[in-house]
Amino acid sequence: MTSTHTQNEGSAVLVRDLRKSYGEVAAVRGVGFEVAKGEVFCLLGPNGAGKTTTVEILEGYRTRTGGEVTVLGMDPADGKRELRERVGIVLQQCGVQSDLTVAELIEMYGRYHVRRRPVDELVELVELTEKRDVRAKNLSGGQRRRLDLALALVGDPDLVFLDEPTTGFDPAARRQAWSTIRSLCELGKTIFLTTHYMDEAQFLANRVAVMRAGEIIAFGRPDEIGGRDLRPAEVRFVLPPGRSLDDLPELPSRDIALTGDRVVVRTAEPVPATHAITSWALEQGLELEHFSVAQPSLEDIYLELTGSGNNHAIEEAVR
Amino acid sequence: MITAQAYPLKRDLGLVGWQIRYEQRAFWRNRGRGVFTFAFPLMFLVIFASLFNGQHMSGRGGIPYNDFFVPGILAYGVITTTFVNMAISTAILRDEGVLKRMQGTPLPRWAYVAGRIGSTIVIVGAMTVVTLALGVIAYGVHISASTLPAVIVVLVLGTIVFTALGIGIVRFIPNAEAAPVIVNLTILPLTFISGIWFVTDSMPTWLQNIAKVFPIRALADQLQHAFDPRTSGSGFRGEDLQTLAIWAVVGIVLMVRFLRRPQGEDV
Repeated sequence: MTSTHTQNEGSAVLVRDLRKSYGEVAAVRGVGFEVAKGEVFCLLGPNGAGKTTTVEILEGYRTRTGGEVTVLGMDPADGKRELRERVGIVLQQCGVQSDLTVAELIEMYGRYHVRRRPVDELVELVELTEKRDVRAKNLSGGQRRRLDLALALVGDPDLVFLDEPTTGFDPAARRQAWSTIRSLCELGKTIFLTTHYMDEAQFLANRVAVMRAGEIIAFGRPDEIGGRDLRPAEVRFVLPPGRSLDDLPELPSRDIALTGDRVVVRTAEPVPATHAITSWALEQGLELEHFSVAQPSLEDIYLELTGSGNNHAIEEAVR
Repeated sequence: MITAQAYPLKRDLGLVGWQIRYEQRAFWRNRGRGVFTFAFPLMFLVIFASLFNGQHMSGRGGIPYNDFFVPGILAYGVITTTFVNMAISTAILRDEGVLKRMQGTPLPRWAYVAGRIGSTIVIVGAMTVVTLALGVIAYGVHISASTLPAVIVVLVLGTIVFTALGIGIVRFIPNAEAAPVIVNLTILPLTFISGIWFVTDSMPTWLQNIAKVFPIRALADQLQHAFDPRTSGSGFRGEDLQTLAIWAVVGIVLMVRFLRRPQGEDV
């Protein structure tokens, strides 16, 4: 996965052969990727995969054991103030001076930056206008998370690290946060996202890297990753009573499975397959319950790649 | 230096000034921490001074008891507002990830620490003024012009020692919940053998020698000496100042060692 071409002007983050060991334990084992300016890059992976270690090396919180890291043209290990000036960070669990109010905190963190966004604008952006004079300790979890985002954006950064930014959000708040993040992209910011939520990666990310056991095992656009676009589509339905697989018409598929009364037809040609099945059902006057056609979801690919769900039979049985 | 150009020192000093203001605001707003840190020594002052008001000491040339007790409480006040307050609040900030967050901002670490220390100095100053005002007005303590420089010097030195130690000890505090216990276990026994609550002149020599190693006795003894009506001259005590100076070095070394460690390197 190590990018072989030299860093171009457009890259916000460049990582080559990154390694990090804690004593004998290798947490990150030769990771490489490039994040282009203005893109949303998402790092996926189960707990313990080395995501947080990787991100915290990029943020300058941890030192690396080996490899090359460049963030906005600087090495985060140098701890340069210019870099902190241009990077906004939303950490997973990170407190604030909880006796200060929302507006006071945004003002305080804003002062640290040479270039800063006005308090009112940020309060509005993260929709905390009504809570601006409430002390941080009295905010709800979701409101605290939005305050975190405001504090990360206070210096009008070029690159924003978001470590599981919507954990603990209700679905409406998550949609809201997504649209805020999308609006950041429209302003030309680069977003480095880590998340557990596949729908979040699917919705936000231009490119996704999947980590497992300290290595990147898949890399690409969310709709292409793990060969997702090349995978056969799945046509599913419940076999009508009194019918068997032999009764089905001829289908452009060699992978037709029956589990209980559920049929899964895996095919590279979903349109002819669907047509054949539905025509057959209409001719016979049959109702096909739970009929669906779908590409494998990002979640399916993710579970398969990270080795936590590749037993299809079990998956079927659970359904 | 490139950074010196991009970030003039004047701007950073301005940031320190702002940080002091924010720290002050947060300190006084939190009643549990702010007001009680401040009220604790004053409560002892009122209780003890009322108990012994008008009485004279059996030892120490029979000076009024309050001339011994008020400077002792002042020393205790300095310790609670610096060491105790700094250690507990820093442990909380560390555990809650505030230190980590601060590390990710462009504010230089030294400026943040300076802001926290500056805020502590404001609190010590307020504590000193209130304690001495109460001592002078209510309990007839005298501040003599000749020993005033000694009082100021030792208060500054004491603030340095106990603020630095307060930050430095956080390294040995595993978590914020343990902080009050560890801090009080460090301080309380020493205050008893250091002559803050009662005269320790007749205490066994070995115990006195232990007390002499630590800075609490040095601070209390120097202040008591400066407030002793029998003291003539400037009131400086070389032995006490020497102890405090050594602990200032120890404190600063421990403080720097704690502050140098990056926040977030868990393993």
